[in-house]
Amino acid sequence: MKKVLLLAYKDLRSDARSKEIVPAMAVFSLCLTFLFSITLPDGAGRAPLPVPVAGAASVRELAGTYLWVSIFFASIIGFGRTAASDSQGSRIEGLLLTTVDPAQIFFGRVAANFVFLCLVEVALMPFFILFLSVPASLLWPELLLIALLTNAGLAATGSLFGAASQFARAKDLVLPLLMFPIMLPVVLGASRLTSQLMSFGSVGPEARWFILIGVFDIVLLGIGAVTYEFVVQE
Amino acid sequence: MKSARLTPLALLASAAMLAGVFAIFFVMPDAEPPHGIVYRIIFIHVPSAWIAYLAFAVVLVGSIAHLRNGSKKMDWLAHASAEVGVLFTAICLVTGMVWAKPLWGAFWVWEPRLTLTFVLLLIYLGYLVFRAMGGDQERTSRIAAVIGITGFATIPLIHFAVDWYRGHHPGRAVIRPGGDFQLEPEMVATLFAMVAVFTVLYATLLALRIRLAGTAAQLEALR
Repeated sequence: MKKVLLLAYKDLRSDARSKEIVPAMAVFSLCLTFLFSITLPDGAGRAPLPVPVAGAASVRELAGTYLWVSIFFASIIGFGRTAASDSQGSRIEGLLLTTVDPAQIFFGRVAANFVFLCLVEVALMPFFILFLSVPASLLWPELLLIALLTNAGLAATGSLFGAASQFARAKDLVLPLLMFPIMLPVVLGASRLTSQLMSFGSVGPEARWFILIGVFDIVLLGIGAVTYEFVVQE
Repeated sequence: MKSARLTPLALLASAAMLAGVFAIFFVMPDAEPPHGIVYRIIFIHVPSAWIAYLAFAVVLVGSIAHLRNGSKKMDWLAHASAEVGVLFTAICLVTGMVWAKPLWGAFWVWEPRLTLTFVLLLIYLGYLVFRAMGGDQERTSRIAAVIGITGFATIPLIHFAVDWYRGHHPGRAVIRPGGDFQLEPEMVATLFAMVAVFTVLYATLLALRIRLAGTAAQLEALR
């Protein structure tokens, strides 16, 4: 555990020193949130609930999807970058020569990516609330749990496939292709939970998504721990 | 010599497919309206879906075996099975769309099973794209195996996700795929026979593709 924390600290410091990952991810997700909100009808966020027109999706339902799609895209950019910096200068190869277990390197990377996502979300949240006229009081504290679970799943998948994509010729193309279909349960779950929260103030019957995302996190962390060594091995 | 061994399998697959198609069009009676003649597509659609799942399970087995002992043959098996699986997933989706149009009124609806099949197609297309873009052969095979394992492991989760996500959709109530459609015993027998025929076809394509991979590897070694 201590080694994992140390590795995570190393990853955080080296990536923070380059000063490009979190700002780029945050600005990118902000751009997407801006684009999504500007394309909505005027004042749509304050639309009365339930939706007056049967069959029409409420804007608050869409807002949950917009939030997580923005973060998902930003995560693809960020994780591609962190994986690229890992593969530059043979950092991982160097670590593999020490007594560190590949699974520990993986967990360290996941922890660092997890922190980056949390920082991006903290930066994005005020704009999300502002642009989409989301009632902030409805979000607390369930959104924190949604974010923590979702970030874990995104970080686990991104760390595994980020490392995997580094050995393909067109790295930046491969990562989203690999990540998107696999991440579907988490992105669908997070957006449904968030939409529910914003429409009704509680997750209610949709709470089962927490279990699904939690199981996803465990499965991906498990697969990553076992298979990371095959991905980074020379 | 190897081709001589494969010829009987290929002949068997062709003969069985011909017999199957004959049975579908000339032996099977029309169904009750609105299924009419369109229902015949299930004899292609259902076996394709079965082969898709079988093929992706084989990818999983080949991937695990490759990671355990580094066997090249297992890697070829996984790669070949992914290619054949993607082909049959596409056939399954297209035949499903053709069937959906008269029955549901649209070629595409976000019905959970359809969505899951589409996501499967995306996962294994990504797998094939990665293999096509890989650099070092050994490493590409290893990483592809990891992708094959992860892809298959998430299928149950994706299944629940797409089912729950669209579960409350009002469209769901009118869409009951196959729910109101009873098959006659002879249709069920034909369906099972077609599943067997498709399995032989799958085995043939798989064997041919693995042989091709072997030849490609030999050629690479000679260079």
